[in-house]
Amino acid sequence: MISRFARVSLVALAASTALVSIAEAASVLSIGRREDSSTFDPINTAQNIDFWVFMNVYDVLVRVDKSGAELVPGLAESWDISDDGLTYTFHLRDANFSDGSPITATDAMFSLERVRDSELSLWADGYKIISDMQTPDDKTLVITLSGQSAPFLSTLAMPATSVISKAGFEEMGQEAYAENPIASGAFIVKDWLRGDRVILEKNPEFWEADRVSLDGVEWISMPDDNTRMLSVQAGELDAAIFVPFSRVEELQADDSLTVHIEPSTREDHLLMNHESEPLDNLAVREAIDYAIDKQAIVDTVTFGQGTVANSYVPAGALYHSADNGARPFDPELAKSTLAEAGIEDIEMDYLVNAGNEVDEQVAVLIQQQLSNVGIDVNLVKMDPSQTWDMLVDGEYDLSMMYWTNDILDPDQKTTFVLGHDVNMNYMTRYQNDTVAQLVADARLELDPTKREAMYHEIQALAKSDAHWIDLFYSPFINVSRAGVENFDQNPLGRFFLEDTVIAE
Amino acid sequence: MTDIPSPEPRSILRLRLPGKNTGLVIGFGIIGTFLLLAILAPFVAPFDPVQQNPDLRLTPPSWAHPFGTDNFGRDMLSRVIWGARIDLQITLLGVLFPFIIGTIVGTVAGFFGGIVDTIFMRIIDIVLAFPFLVLMLSVIAILGPGLTSFYIAMALVGWVSYARLIRAQILVLKTKDFAVAAQSLGFSRTRIMFRHLLPNALAGSIVFAMSDVVLVLLNGAAISYLGLGVQPPTAEWGIMVAEGQSFISRAWWIPFFPGVSIVVLAFGFSLLGDALSDIWGRLE
Repeated sequence: MISRFARVSLVALAASTALVSIAEAASVLSIGRREDSSTFDPINTAQNIDFWVFMNVYDVLVRVDKSGAELVPGLAESWDISDDGLTYTFHLRDANFSDGSPITATDAMFSLERVRDSELSLWADGYKIISDMQTPDDKTLVITLSGQSAPFLSTLAMPATSVISKAGFEEMGQEAYAENPIASGAFIVKDWLRGDRVILEKNPEFWEADRVSLDGVEWISMPDDNTRMLSVQAGELDAAIFVPFSRVEELQADDSLTVHIEPSTREDHLLMNHESEPLDNLAVREAIDYAIDKQAIVDTVTFGQGTVANSYVPAGALYHSADNGARPFDPELAKSTLAEAGIEDIEMDYLVNAGNEVDEQVAVLIQQQLSNVGIDVNLVKMDPSQTWDMLVDGEYDLSMMYWTNDILDPDQKTTFVLGHDVNMNYMTRYQNDTVAQLVADARLELDPTKREAMYHEIQALAKSDAHWIDLFYSPFINVSRAGVENFDQNPLGRFFLEDTVIAE
Repeated sequence: MTDIPSPEPRSILRLRLPGKNTGLVIGFGIIGTFLLLAILAPFVAPFDPVQQNPDLRLTPPSWAHPFGTDNFGRDMLSRVIWGARIDLQITLLGVLFPFIIGTIVGTVAGFFGGIVDTIFMRIIDIVLAFPFLVLMLSVIAILGPGLTSFYIAMALVGWVSYARLIRAQILVLKTKDFAVAAQSLGFSRTRIMFRHLLPNALAGSIVFAMSDVVLVLLNGAAISYLGLGVQPPTAEWGIMVAEGQSFISRAWWIPFFPGVSIVVLAFGFSLLGDALSDIWGRLE
C-alpha cells in the first residue's frame, strides 16, 4: 500500500521529470518499428532491422545517394580504377572514429578482410574476388581483384562493409564491439536495451558532424502495428516505420502527421519448387502465372500502394526491363495451357508465414484464383521460425517471399536468384545453364550498354521459364509527426537521419 | 463420524426439472439458436462464406450485408453463420473426448484404488505440472496444425480434470449403503462401476463440462488465432477476429461480430452450466 503523501509526491516527481525530459529531448527523434536490433557487427547479419540502424552508426567507403541511383563518396574522398579494371585505389578523407582516433586505410582494409574471411560473415561470397589489399600510406587503400567485376564498386556501399576500428575491435573483442561499437558514422550507440530500444547519440567526431541536427535517435521496438500507429498519432513517438498498407489513407487524413511513401527496391514474389511435381513442368508454372490476378493482389493487400511486378529487377532499379514478356492475367489461357499439357487434378501445398498479415492475405487470394483454373491449393500455416528451413529443404510447392536490394547493382540479386549460387536459386531449384552463364558474363562486362542488354535478356529468359511469379513492388511507408523534417529513406533502405530536423 | 445425514446422491437419471429456471431457458435458447444456424447454414447464410468479391471490400454493415464485408469482400454474416458450425464442432468434440477418457479413468481409479489409483494419479500429476496451453501447443506442434491435431491435443491434455473429479466422487460413493448392497448382492464389478456408481457421480462433471466448454471454445479460437487450428479460408470465429484485428481502426465490424458470437455462445454455456448445478446441487 502506498501512502497518499507518497502518491502525491510521486506524481509531482513524474511531472517534473517529464518536463525536464521534454526540454532536454527537444531534438531526440523517437522512431517506432517492429523488432529490435540483433547486432552491430556489420558482417554478421542480413537483416534490415540491423542494417537500417547501423547505417547511421557506421560510414562506408562509397555511399549510395538519397535517390538510390548513384554512388557518391563516403569515407573515400575519391578513387581511381586502373585501365584493366583490376586495381582500385581509394583516397580516404580526414575523418575520426567516435573515440577520437583517425580512420585509416588499415581500418578500411581490416573491415573488408573481415567481410571476406571471417567465419561470421554472411556476405563472404561477394568479396572473394578481392585478391590483394595494400595500404601504401594511412589514407590510401589499393585493392586488387582476381578478375574484372562490374558491380565491385557498388558492393563497397553495402552496409556489411561498414568501416570499423581495427584497434578498437581487437581490444574489445567481437562480442563487445557488436554490442557497443566505436562509430564511424553520424551517431554512437549510447545505450541498447535489448528487445526494447536502441538509443543513439550524436557523434561529435563524425566528419560531417555539422550536417547533423539531431542530438539523438531512439529506435523503439513496438511489434504490434496498431499500437505503433496509435503511439505516433498520440505523439508518444515522433515517427514510425512499417506503416501497414491498410492504415495509409487514415494517417494521411491526420493533419498532425506526414506519411512518407518512398520508392523502394522491394519485390514480393511467389516461389515455386521446380523439383516438386507437377511444378517441374513449364506449362504448369505458366498456367499459375496466367491464373494469378496480380492487380487484385495489389488492390486488396497493398490498398493500391503497390504496383504489379513484371520482373525480378524492381521497376526504377538499374537495368530493369519493362518489356520482358510478362504474362497477362488470363484464367482461360491458364485452363487451356493446362489442358494442352494434359495435366489434371493438381494439388499443391502453399507454405504461409503464420501471423504475417500480408502473407496470409496473398495466400487466401491466390488459393481462390488458382482454384478457379482447377488447381487445388492447400494452405500450410507455419511459424516463421520454421518456414525458412522448410524452403531450404524443399518441403513446399508454393510460398511467398520478398527481397530488398542491398546494393545498387542488379548482380547481387541476380546471382542469388538465377546464378546457380549456393542457395538453389533462392530455394526454387530452378535450373537453366544458359541463364547462369549469362549471369556470370554480365558480372564481367564493363560496358554499361552491353551489360544492360545482357540483363534485359536474362530477365526475358527467366520470365519465359517462369522461374517464379513476380507479384508486386511496394514502397517503404513511414510516418512522422508534423515538425519532423527530412525524414527520408532511400530505395535501398538507408535512413538519412544526418539530415533530419525536428523543428521547434 | 457425524450424525448429520449426508445428502442423497443425485443421479443424472433422476433429473427433476424445476418449475421455473430462466438461466436454463436462456442458456438452452442461445445454444439452440446457434445449433440451428449451424445445421441450416447452407440455407440461412445469404452468401458463400469463402467467395471473394474484390468490388465489395470492407463495406460497412448495410441491408445487403448486415455484418458488412471483410477485406476480401466476403459477406461477414455468412461467415459468422458458417463459423458457428466449426466453433460448435470444436466445443462439442473438444469436450467430449476428454470427458469420456477422464470419466473412464476416474471411475476405474476410484473404484479399484491401490496401485491402479496411484499410477493414474501420478500420470495426472505429471500432466497437471505443465501449463495447459504450453502442453497443448507442443502436442499440436508435433502433430502439425489442423483441427484433428487440436482434438487429439485436447483429449490428451484435457481429460485430467474429469478424471480427478469422477475419482473423488466414486471414492465417496463406493462406501455408501447402496453401493455396499450392490456388492453384497454379488453384482459384477463392471455393473457396479458403470450402472450403480457412475450415474451418481456424473452430475458434477457434466456441470464442470459446461464451464469447460467455454474454455475449449476460447482455446479453439486462440489456437486458430495462432494459426495452428482451423486453416484459411474456412470461416471460424477465432481466425476472423485475428484477421480482422489489423483492420480494426478502419473496419470495426470484421472482428466485432465474430467476437460477439464467441462471447454470446460462451455466455449460453455458462448459464446452462449454472442452471444444471442448481438443479443437481453443487459438489460437496
